[in-house]
Amino acid sequence: MKALKFLLLPYMAAVIAAAFLWPEPAQGFIGESSRIVFFHVPCAWTSTLAFLVAAAYSAAYLRTRNPWHDDVAAAAVRIGLLFGVLTLITGSLFANIMWGSWWNWDPRESSYLLLVFLYAAYLFLRSAVEDPDRRPRVAAAYALFAVVLMPFLTFVAPRITASLHPQTVINPQGKILMDTPTRAVFFGALAGFSGLFLWMLSIEARTRRLARTGPISRTGRTSP
Amino acid sequence: MSALSGAWAVCVKDATEELRRKVAIVSVFFFAATAVTLVSFAMVGALALPPADRPPLQAALLWIILFFAAATGLPRAFVAEEESGTGLALRKTIPAVVVLAGKTLFNFLLFLAMAAVTIPGFLILLDWKAGSAGAVAATLLAGGFGLAVVSTFLSALVARAGQRHVLFVLIAFPLLLPLLQAAIAATIEAAAGAFPSAPLKVLVAYDGAAACGAYMLAGVAWED
Repeated sequence: MKALKFLLLPYMAAVIAAAFLWPEPAQGFIGESSRIVFFHVPCAWTSTLAFLVAAAYSAAYLRTRNPWHDDVAAAAVRIGLLFGVLTLITGSLFANIMWGSWWNWDPRESSYLLLVFLYAAYLFLRSAVEDPDRRPRVAAAYALFAVVLMPFLTFVAPRITASLHPQTVINPQGKILMDTPTRAVFFGALAGFSGLFLWMLSIEARTRRLARTGPISRTGRTSP
Repeated sequence: MSALSGAWAVCVKDATEELRRKVAIVSVFFFAATAVTLVSFAMVGALALPPADRPPLQAALLWIILFFAAATGLPRAFVAEEESGTGLALRKTIPAVVVLAGKTLFNFLLFLAMAAVTIPGFLILLDWKAGSAGAVAATLLAGGFGLAVVSTFLSALVARAGQRHVLFVLIAFPLLLPLLQAAIAATIEAAAGAFPSAPLKVLVAYDGAAACGAYMLAGVAWED
């Protein structure tokens, strides 16, 4: 994880520089607004990845009852929420430039807001269950139930009504509608944000474990 | 006792208890009737719209009323067991899946009874035209089943949490929104006399996913 940390710094700096300097702005968008795709979509991808990781670790917790799996699941949801909020903020910036309003109740905007609520509710639920033995089990059950219904929020609900949102990477044509430099920076950003997520997840999960067990000394013993 | 007869026994037990107490069940119907009356006042006055613009608003209001009326009654499924101290006995004698199935069945029947109060009120007070009665019935059955499944499962999750009534609404709304959105779209089409095949497919898929998720996680949510 240390190597990842040192790799991420120059890598993300290069991705950010490339995002502003390399590809030409896409046609059909006002000014440089299309460049938001290099930040907005990776944020959305990272939050979805985080929620999937939370579900995977929740399933692992229910199978093994290993509290470390619960730590990772809870950490993934917190980081997923952070990236979810960043998705909403970057989306709102784009909406203001393109559609003249910070918030338009576009189906995709609304469904993403609800996805954030869905996982904010996970944290509410965790804090409302006082029994420390029951809390990880209830949280894991909710995380798994939520991930079963998540596709309806992210894929089905935005397609029931007409949307202003530009075509997504997963579109009806099944094609990535980007030129080569845009595609390179876009996938580079996706990889960078995924790496950033892994690094943050490692820190957050270990912090949670420390909070649960207390500081561990150099000899590996837990302090009282 | 087979699983089916066990589920039926749980459903009958809940119905008997609720009918004996009366206050809780009457308050659900009273809420639905009051909400329809208030909405009809608003539609005549401040929200007076040309007849052509009414169906989408009426469909949305109908499902908002059904959702909030359901939110006052459906979460009682497992919460009532904990409050009356019978939860432990139920956990020890009947498998969680059977309890969940029985309570879901009771909640589904309660929803249908609530809809039976709300729909005539809508037809009379709001001059709502249910173009295709069969399509409206299919929408209510599919929407009501999903609402009952999700509400019952979440009721099991929050039954032993603090602030459970507020918590239920917090966690239920984002999970149920795709269902509500599809149900509203189906109701608009049904009111226009068409058969809402696309939104009904979404509702049936949602119901299937929610039922599978609840079935798989029932033990985790309810048992110790």
